[in-house]
Formats: sequence, C-alpha cells, structure tokens
Amino acid sequence: MAHSAIVLCGGLSSRMGRPKALLPWRGRTLVEHVVATLRTVVDDVVVVTSSELDLPRLDAVVVRDREPKLGPLSGLRDGLAAASNDLAFATATDAPFLSAGFVRTMLGFGRAAAPVVEGFVQPLSAVYPRALTTTADALIAAGRMRLLHLLEAADFRSVAADELPEVESTRNLNTPDEYLGAVRRDDPGARAQVELFGLMRTTSGAATIDVDAGTLGEILDRVQSDFPMLRLRAAGEVAKNILVSLNGQAFVRDASLPVGAGDCILLMDAAVGG
Amino acid sequence: MKTFAGFHGRYWRFDLGTGTGAYIPLDEAVLRRFLGGVGLGAWLLHRESPAGVDPLAPEAALVFAFSPLVGTPLTTSAKFAVVAKSPLTGMISDSLSSSHFAIHGKRMGVDAIVLVGACAQPSVLVDGALRPTDLWGRSSEEACAALAPYGTVAAIGVAGEHLVRYATISNDGRHAGRGGLGAVMGAKKLKAIVVRGEVRTELSDAPAVLAIAKDLSKRSFGPATAKYRELGTVGNLLAFNRLAALPTRNFQSGTFDQAAALSAEQLAPTRAKAKRSCASCTIGCEHIYAFGDAKSVRVEYENVFALGPLCGIGDPDAVLAASKRCDDLGLDTISAGGTIAFAMECAERGLIAGPRFGDAAGLMALLEDIAHRRGLGALLAEGSRRAAEAIGSGSIDFAPQVKGMELPGYEPRALQTMALGFAVGTRGADHNRSGAYELDFSDTVDRLKGSPEAARLAAGTEDRAALMDALILCKFLRGVFTDLYAESAAMLRAVTGWDVTAAELVATSARIVALKKAFNIREGWTPASDTLPKRFLSEGLPDGASKGALIPRERLQDMVRAYNRARGWTDDGWLPDTVYEELAL
Repeated sequence: MAHSAIVLCGGLSSRMGRPKALLPWRGRTLVEHVVATLRTVVDDVVVVTSSELDLPRLDAVVVRDREPKLGPLSGLRDGLAAASNDLAFATATDAPFLSAGFVRTMLGFGRAAAPVVEGFVQPLSAVYPRALTTTADALIAAGRMRLLHLLEAADFRSVAADELPEVESTRNLNTPDEYLGAVRRDDPGARAQVELFGLMRTTSGAATIDVDAGTLGEILDRVQSDFPMLRLRAAGEVAKNILVSLNGQAFVRDASLPVGAGDCILLMDAAVGG
Repeated sequence: MKTFAGFHGRYWRFDLGTGTGAYIPLDEAVLRRFLGGVGLGAWLLHRESPAGVDPLAPEAALVFAFSPLVGTPLTTSAKFAVVAKSPLTGMISDSLSSSHFAIHGKRMGVDAIVLVGACAQPSVLVDGALRPTDLWGRSSEEACAALAPYGTVAAIGVAGEHLVRYATISNDGRHAGRGGLGAVMGAKKLKAIVVRGEVRTELSDAPAVLAIAKDLSKRSFGPATAKYRELGTVGNLLAFNRLAALPTRNFQSGTFDQAAALSAEQLAPTRAKAKRSCASCTIGCEHIYAFGDAKSVRVEYENVFALGPLCGIGDPDAVLAASKRCDDLGLDTISAGGTIAFAMECAERGLIAGPRFGDAAGLMALLEDIAHRRGLGALLAEGSRRAAEAIGSGSIDFAPQVKGMELPGYEPRALQTMALGFAVGTRGADHNRSGAYELDFSDTVDRLKGSPEAARLAAGTEDRAALMDALILCKFLRGVFTDLYAESAAMLRAVTGWDVTAAELVATSARIVALKKAFNIREGWTPASDTLPKRFLSEGLPDGASKGALIPRERLQDMVRAYNRARGWTDDGWLPDTVYEELAL
C-alpha cells in the first residue's frame, strides 16, 4: 500500500536562532536529510513551509503554510490536503534521528497512530489519514489547535515505545544545546570553518581556520584565543568592529547561535563602504 | 549685523561671461535651515540655476559650497560640495571633495562660490579675475601644479574640456567625482579656479569646539575607522566577492574569479607605498599603491571594482594604471568603468565593435578616446544610458545606470536594501547619499530579499548622510558617533552659537533630502525615474552566495512606495504642498 509523508518546517525556530530546516546535518541540511529518509519508505513527501523560508531543492512537493500563525495543525492540514495517498506519516523537520524502520513500523498500523514516549503522545511522529483534512478545518474553526485533538478525533492507536524500533526518531531539537549535543554525539569530530577577511586576515595571517562545531560565541572565543591580536568579542557579545555572516547568507550577532558541521562563518570588518 | 558664528553670511557670485563678481548676503534663516555643503549648495542651485536649463549652457550654475565646520579643528571637516545640474542625469549632482581647497575657499570670506555664464576663451579664475590660459589640454594635476603659486586650485582635466558627461573636478589630489561636474566647468571654458584668502570665521565657543575636536580625534583612532586607516576601502573587495556582491562583467555576475589578485589582502603587503590624509583629517584613508614601472596611485575600492571586475580585468597593474589614467584625464572611475563594461557586453553580443571583457589594453585605449571624444569614445563619453539609447537592440536593459548615473560597486540583487537606495537616489545610483548597504550588512534585514519594512531605515541612512554632507564631515567617521544628531548639534552650537538641537537636525536632514528632490521634480523627474535596469529585476545572479537572487519588479515597487510613505511624500514620490511650503523656496 502506498503512503505519503509530511514534513512540517514552518516554525519560527526562535529558540534555535536560525531555521531548523537549514541546520547542517551529515553533509546536507536537516530538511534534506529528513526528506531523503522518508523517501526510502513513502511514495511522496509533502514539505509544508513558511513563505519566508527559502528551502534547497527537495525530492518533495513544497507547499506554503496558508496560515502559519495558527501553528502545526494548520501546516498539517495543508500537508494532508497535498498528500497523494490515504495515509501519511507526519514529522517535524528537526528529527535528525528519524529512521526508515520507525516510519515503516508506524505506517504499518494502517490507521491514525502516534507513539507514546515517557508518557507523552508524540503527534509529530505520527500517522494521519488524509481524510482528516476536514476535521482539521473544523478544529481550527473551533480554535482547538492541538494536534492531539486531531489524533483523538481519529481514535488513534497509541503505540508504546517498546513496540517501535529506533524510538529516538521522535527526538526533536529546539535549542542550540540540543542541536550541538546531537551533532557532537553523531560525529565527535564535527568541524566548521571560519574565513577571515580584510584587517583580520592581514593582521592574523590566516585566511581560513577549521574549528570544532559549537556556538558562535564558542567559535569566536577559540579563534581569538589562537589569534590574540584579533578583537572578536566584547563583554560576552560579538565585538562591534566585526561583521559575521553565516555561510555568506544572513548576518548574525547572536553568540548563542549554533554552528554545525560544514557551516562557514565569515568574519569581516564592520566598516563597510567607501 | 551678523550675530552667529561659523559662517560668513554671504556667497560670491561670479559671472564668467562678464568677468564680474558680487557678494550676495545669505540669511541666517537659510543657513540654519540648510547648513552648508550639499544643503546650502542645493539651495543655491535652486536660486541660481534657471528651471529647465541645459546643464552645459552658460546659464547653468556651478556651486562650490563650504560649511560651518570648515576651518575648525574638527577632524575631517575640510570638505566642500560642488553642486550643479548634472549633464549625465539632468538631475541634481552634489559631489564632495576635501582638503585645502575647502579651507582656503572659505577664507575668501564666503560660504559659497557660484559660477554662472561662460568664458569667451579657455581661462582660469585667479584672485577674482579671469585670465586666459594655455593650460587647456593639460591634466588637472598639471594645472593644479602650475597654478599653485596663486593659491589652492580646483581644475578639470581633458575629459572636462571635452564635455565628457562624467568628467571630474580635481583639487589637492582629490576629486569631486560623480555626475559630470567637470563637464559643467568645461562648458564654461574654465580650466581652473584658484582660491586663497585670510578671512576666518569666528567660533562661538572656541574652548568647547576644541574639546569636542579633541574627543572626536581620539575616537577617530579607534576600531570604527581601523579598516580605512590600515587597509583602505579596497578592503571591501574580497569580502564582497565572497558574498557574491562584487559587480562583475557589467553586472552579469556577483563573483570574479580573479578577485583575490585585486584584493587589499593580497596587494597591500607588496604594493602599499604610503598612506596620506586630507587636510584636517586624523583617519588617513588614502592608500598609495605602486604599479608598473615605479608609478603609484591612490587606491579605492570603487576604482578597483569599476576598472577591474566590472570590466573582467584581473591584472592589478592594468587596473591601477587605468585608475591613475582616469585621475589624470579627469574621469569618474565608476562611470568610466561602468560605461566601458556596458560597451564590452555590447561588443560580446555583437551590437558594436569594440574591446571585450578582460581586454586591458582596450580599456586603456577607450579611456583616452572617451576623454578626447574620439571614435567609440565619443559615444561612451555620453554615459551608458545615452550610449544604450543610440545602440538600441534592448541594450538599455543592461546599461548599468539609474537616472543615467552608473552604479557603484554594490550588486543590488545581493544587497537589496541598497537597491532601494539606488532606485530613489536623487543623483542616481549612489552609495554616498544612501548608506542602505549598512542594513544589508546587518542582522536587521535579509539582504537577498528586500522588504518594505526596511524602507524607513533606508531613508534614515539618507538623512544621516545628508546631515554629514551639509556639516560637512567625512562618512568614514559615521561609526565613531554614538548619536550623530546629538553630537552634531553640540558641534553646531559650539561653532555657531545657535541653540540647535538633535531634533532640529533630524528635521534639517530630511529637509535637505526633500530640497534635492524638489530640484529634480522641477527638472522633469517622474515616478518612472525611481527604478533599476531591467537586468536586476529579471535575471537571477548566476553563482556564489547570492545565487538566484533577483528583485522582482513588484518587490521594488513595494519598497519604493514604502520609502515615499516613510518620507511623508505621495505614494508615487511627489512632494506634497506642505513640504514645498516648509522648504520655502
């Protein structure tokens, strides 16, 4: 029997400080990793995202969450509406340890089903019938926004942890600490890169530096420790005289920002122009 | 009787046609409302330049405006503005230059010099009188040297004599570079103006001025100016390349594969010969590099970008030689590089015969031909917009200009708040009157996705620039200020004795921006002028960290509308009656 999968990545990632879908994981972005894992099990993957997020090219149908402020129920509703098959496994994008065996087992129940781990139902590692789209609309209209309500409306099958392989598939990452902990456990040698420009390059004599993955603050502290002539930090913050770009894209200043394996931090002189 | 300090309270109006000059009083109210520099210069242009005048006609006014801070010990204050209707854009051009000309010009006992009319034959203006000159045909540097015994000199090069629409005016090794003011001077057959005098303005509170000056000088040695001091602006180049924001091959790409060879990081260790600074400056941003056979040139990012990556040229000797040649001929490097890069793309597309990207010898030959208006150079002397109109075949879509002025070295698709600044700029694509790129280089906006929300902030960078350009202070100081408006008010209080506040200066800066817009409206501006070339709206960047970025037309329109609203103008950008009433022109 053919199945679908839905990946929700429309969240704000506010605690993480950067979009969780785009966190590096095993040489690609987290959303690419999750989609690739799901594609080994299901026929079609629907990624539901916000209009602000630019995702990499994916082997999936990408739909924009019509009402992102309504939370995951709205995104799931949009995902179910775009799914090709009657039954869909739904996950958040921040599921780095999601396994094909786990997904296959969950879909094997053939009905609405959700794991219960340490006493908590995990609605973002669960199976939903596509027919629940209208129920989701009704719940949204009634202001009942919890995914659990949708599962309950479908009389879902509770799945105990000991019925499941690789129950870590349900683990999500919400904070820099959780992400970096997962990175270090997955690859203790995970490295990021720092590129220096302008005065920082001429005064340090270094163009690129390999560093351990960590928070931006940890990485700047490490570079400054190796090159004491640089002024990268001030009172625990990123020094005003430098600009920091993450992978040449966003400019960032939050010292708690997680920097993962393969990320590249560009350090530039703040005085731009002329 | 003048009751305020820092100003002379008059300007000198000299008619080059009749050879006569007159001192004309300036009301305190005008000076307080528009200050000096570009503010006073724009006000004088409204007054002295007839509506609809041909920028190269004798009736067109050419204004040299000083400022209340010139002559004080405040660092970087030795600056002046040159203001005229631009022969390149048909709009206002307000260009800044620095150093001794500002100090000695103001010591003539005037706050501005306004030149009208035209000389009957090539002449120089010395000690208030015209003299026929045999310096016509010589470089601006030679003219400045020849006239140095008489005072401080601002002169045009050969390009100005030949009315190249982006010719410069040069003084003290610096240049009023953008908008073709050298052509305005050339049309008046004035090779040079020499200033000298001994009339100083008093300071209202000299000890306070000195204290502020000492504090500002001290802060100017800090990290906020370290890049300019130690590396110069060419320190931008490699970082811009990494961000795919380095305009390359006429804006066909944001990355240049030979960028490293032109970077300060690579060139400075082997080529840096000396550092210099303008008069009254503690920053010292001028970096002199060696090239060729024992030659040297002042290196700036804009020169290197425009004559290097933009033309597909990566040989540092060739780029530095071209930069030096532009200085000698009196050509704006940005417009020269932009127009030649445009021609190179036209040649590659088979629209014209001419050098192609990477042809350094072709670049050098074209600079000569442009300055002398020979062959293809005669067409390119008109700038990329007019050249595209003549070439046709849709080439206007990739002519790298806004309102006729060529873009500086900030790829707008990769820096989309700056793109808004380019689109609405009163003198065309401009990185000195809008500092919106500062927002793109911050965590405030998404540089690859411009938004209307950034428009108010972009307008704020224009306002701050307008204040600095009216005071006048170097923008390399901007990172030094904690509160530009409050600190500027303190300076002005001490210099002039006015009870000026930060809030008053906020209003003053917005007024100056509106004043320039009012001039453009008078000269034919329409909302359609505030846009970007089609290339930026329809072609995604092909590679690098900004790959795929473009600015959909609707996005740009939304940003422009938000900008106009933030300024209190109509959605289309017209000035409401209340603004005209406030300007009291």
